[in-house]
This record gives sequence, C-alpha cells and structure tokens, in this order.
Amino acid sequence: MTVKVLIVDARPERSRALEQALRDAGFEVVTRADEHDDLYAIMTRVKPDAVIIDAALPSRDTLEHMGQLGRRFPKPMIMLAEEETPDLTREATSAGVSAYVVEDVQPALVRSMVNVAIASFEAHRALKGELTKTQTTLSQRRTIERAKSQLMETHAFSEDAAYQWLRKHAMNRRLTIHEVAQAVLASDDFES
Amino acid sequence: MKDHQTPRDAWPSPELDTLTLGMLPLNDAAPLVVARERGFFATHGLDVTLQVESSWAGLRDSMQLGLLDGAQMLPLMPLASTLGLDGRPTPMLSALTLNLGGNAITVSNALYASMQAADPEAMVQAPISARALAAVVRQRRAAGEPALCFASVYPFSSHHYQLRYWLADGGVDPDRDLELRVVPPPLVAEQLEAGWLDGYCVGEPWNTLAARRESGRVLIGSHAIWQHGQEKVFAVREAWADAYPATHRAVLRALLEACVWLDGSAQRVEAARLMCEKGYLDVSPTVVEESMAGEGTPAPHGVSVFHRHAANFPWRSHLRWYADQMRRWQHLDVAAPALADCLARCVRPDLFREAADDLGFNYPLVDVKSEGEHASQWALEGRRGDIAMGGDQLLGGGRFSGQG
Repeated sequence: MTVKVLIVDARPERSRALEQALRDAGFEVVTRADEHDDLYAIMTRVKPDAVIIDAALPSRDTLEHMGQLGRRFPKPMIMLAEEETPDLTREATSAGVSAYVVEDVQPALVRSMVNVAIASFEAHRALKGELTKTQTTLSQRRTIERAKSQLMETHAFSEDAAYQWLRKHAMNRRLTIHEVAQAVLASDDFES
Repeated sequence: MKDHQTPRDAWPSPELDTLTLGMLPLNDAAPLVVARERGFFATHGLDVTLQVESSWAGLRDSMQLGLLDGAQMLPLMPLASTLGLDGRPTPMLSALTLNLGGNAITVSNALYASMQAADPEAMVQAPISARALAAVVRQRRAAGEPALCFASVYPFSSHHYQLRYWLADGGVDPDRDLELRVVPPPLVAEQLEAGWLDGYCVGEPWNTLAARRESGRVLIGSHAIWQHGQEKVFAVREAWADAYPATHRAVLRALLEACVWLDGSAQRVEAARLMCEKGYLDVSPTVVEESMAGEGTPAPHGVSVFHRHAANFPWRSHLRWYADQMRRWQHLDVAAPALADCLARCVRPDLFREAADDLGFNYPLVDVKSEGEHASQWALEGRRGDIAMGGDQLLGGGRFSGQG
C-alpha cells in the first residue's frame, strides 16, 4: 500500500532532504508545502496518510482544525522540532507523544518514525472511539433512568412497569428505548 | 484602598523563583511583557522568561508536557484541556483574565463591495450586522458560486464563537452557508489578499494591518458583539497550582499590577514599543501602537480593556458563556452537572481574591454575573466598595443569566 506523506516546512533545504529520506524509506508519494500555501486545498487534494510539520510553524493550528473536522482529515502529525528544544522532544517522548522528533533524523529512522506515528494515531483513535461509545451509553442510560422516574411519578408505575412501558412503545414504534425515553422527557404528555 | 492590604512580609514566599511563561505574538500578551520588562515580576521575587510560541497548538503541547509554568491562553483552552477535547487530557485552571475585547471581523474589499450592493441599508447601520452577508450568501447560492470562506485563529477560540455569534445574528448559518477555517493570525491578511479567505475574526494588530494595507475592511469589533467580553486568560496546570500556590499567587499579583499600569493610554504606546523593541511582536511599531491605543484614539475596533471594570476578575459566567456557545453549535456534549463541576475547577475566583487581597485591590463578591443587561456603566458591590462595571450588551439584544 502506498503511504502518502505531506511535509509542511518553511525551510526548503531541510524538507528536500526529508523528502529524499522518505522516498528512500519506501514512501511513494510525498508532497511538500510551505506555510504560505493553501493547506486546506492541498490536504483535500493529496489526502495524506501522515503529515510532517515544522513544530514552530503557526500553520500547526490550521492542521489541528483539519484534524478536528475529524471524519474528513484525521491525520497523524509528526512535529519536526529544533535541535535547541531537547526538553520538548524528551518530554514528548517520555509522555508517549511520539509525534515530536528532532530535525536531523537519520534516513534509516524515517520509516519507523512515520509507521509508529500512524500506528499510535490509529490506536489512539480506536481508544477515543471506545470512549465516545461508553460515554454515549452512559448518557443514554441516564436518559432512560430519568424517563422511568418521570413515568413512575406521572402514572404511579412501579420501576419495572415503567421500563416495560418504554419497551412496549419502543417495539410498537420501531424505536430504541433511548429514543422513546427522549420523547417522554421532551413532552410531558407523551401518551398512547 | 490600600488600608486593607495584607502586609508585604505576610505574603507567602514563592516556592519557585525562576519561571518560564508562554505567550503568542499578540497585543494582548502585553500584561506578561509589561510584568517582565517593567519589573513587576521581579518585585514579587520572580525571575521570569517569556517563551513566544508560534501556534496555540504548540503552546498547548508545551503546557500539557509541563515545559511551561503558565501561559497566556484563550478562555476555552483550560476547559478543553481539562475535558480532554484538546490534546492530552490535562486539568488546567485560570485565576486571572488578561483582557476584555480586542478582536474584530474584517472582510475583503470585494466582499465588502458585494455586501454594499446586496443590502446598502444594512451596511449603514451600526454596528454592521451580517444581514448584508446573508444576502450575498443567497445570491451566490442562486448563482451556483462556491461558499465564502471565513477564518478564525483556533478551534477552541473566542474568535471562533464571536464570529459564529455575529453570523447567526445576521441570519447566516455558519455550518451550512460558509466554510470556516483556522488560519494563524500572521497569515490572515495575506490570505485575504490572495483571495483564499473572504473574511476573518482575529485579534489585533491583524485587523488594523489589513485596513492600513487597504486589503480589507474592518466591519465590527468584538466589543459590539459581546461588550467587555472575556478575551485572554492566564492559565496554569491544576497540578502546578496545587504544588506552588505561593508562586501562583505572586504571578497573579505581578500580572494584576501590570494590567493596572496598562490601563492608561499613554502607557499603551510605551507597551507597544516594548513589545516590538524587545522582539515579542514582529510587526511595525506604528501598527501596534495604533491598534494598542486606548479609547478616544483612531483605533476604533479592537481596543482591549486590561484592568478597569473588574476586567481581571475570572468570572465563572464568562467561561460558561463560551461553553454555552460550544453547546449551541454542538461542539460540546457534556452533561450539565459534569460541566458545572468542570467550570468550578477551571475558573478560580478564590485564588484571584487572595492575590487581590495581598495588594489591597477591590474585587467582586460574587462569582457569576449576567450578560446583556447593561448598556453602559453600572455599579457592582465589591469587597472594598462599589466597582464601576462596563456595559455588557450582546449583539442583537441577547441575554445570558450566567447560570447553567
């Protein structure tokens, strides 16, 4: 599979060397951009699998936004940090943020650097997905609990009767219990 | 006012004396620059290095990794970091607001002309609403033209939500009618000139700069969207605040004194020079001076309030307003009780009051205030007498109770 890497760097000598190293490491498509290019247009066109960006570029915020648009551009980002920022790279590495690397990275390391970044990004995304799912379930459960108490109050149902009521309406209307619970909470006179 | 001041020798001595604080090259980093360059940090026993970051993402990473002791931040950043919405989940808090207002919305000359042609009546009303923009959007859609493109500076930014507020007030749906991008402040003016952007909401000096270069027209300042709305805060990690309470308190005192100093318009010019000459801002000093200037001077849009009207007080309701904007646009899905807990953690008026008491400064007795109730100055009960508060109108007559 072709892994596409986009390099965003304001220093042509450095990005040329990095591009060569990436090609040597077997990455087949590499596009270089500098901060004055239209990153939204380039990202849409190139659809890179990973982005390497100079950590000192203001355009990082632009890429952060594209990352947040999520579904469209979820990309692992690798930060190129200056030699003078050893703290940043050391702390980032020890914190498990593998995305910060110093700029004179050896060509031999380039392949694993990109692969590790993609892998840890995918792992992080999977974890985040799980988390979102758990949070959704929790919030749905809360909605159902609240609907149940409301039904117990207004109809003097037992807890079990309230749940059976929700379940019956869900089945009859081809809705989930959560959706029925939302409808109950949305209107006081949800009946029939 | 000074009679209630805690005696200096009763101030707890800072656990740390050498600190690194982060900032972006923006006018409203002035309190940090002034506190350092005019010696306010030094008088509170602190040797501070200011690290100028080039992006909010970079500043966020440095904060989350513990490489900075504290930083200038956008009001939503501590909340987003605490909730884990932005970067690695890291609890952060703010106990001081650096300034109110300071942003503006600028559009390209071409869009300005289209707005005037589409709805000339709307364009002579002040403040300029997005009504004429809505007409342009309709025309472009009918003609099959691509959506207009606007920028703000960061996803979790005051600018982003002020821009959305203005758009929605004029009948423009920011998600359906436009493309919204994030573009770093130093690049917005050139992207406007290049035609990649049709407009943006950004802090100064980047609106004044576009106006001076005649590449854009400034439509409305953020004070006309949310009068005396919160703009930047000083933030630290929660763990840092717990470990170094006396250091935090000393930083807050120094910043408070710097903000008082910045309140005078003569000092604004000096601050602008300091920022340029000391290399914190790489923009022509005249542009910074003009955009930093106090009221009554030619800079009409992005005037920051650094101290008066209880500007530095960390209102819980200010962050709540931004959080409500996030919910309005479905960017925040946190149950109300969890959000209330988080707001209580992220905004710490109690810590502000300790620092203000050290200096004998006045401060509000309540943590929450409503917005949209006052068109002009009003009085609020403070610890040491009434405080002259500024107006707090919301564009279009909006009201906000401040409660969750």
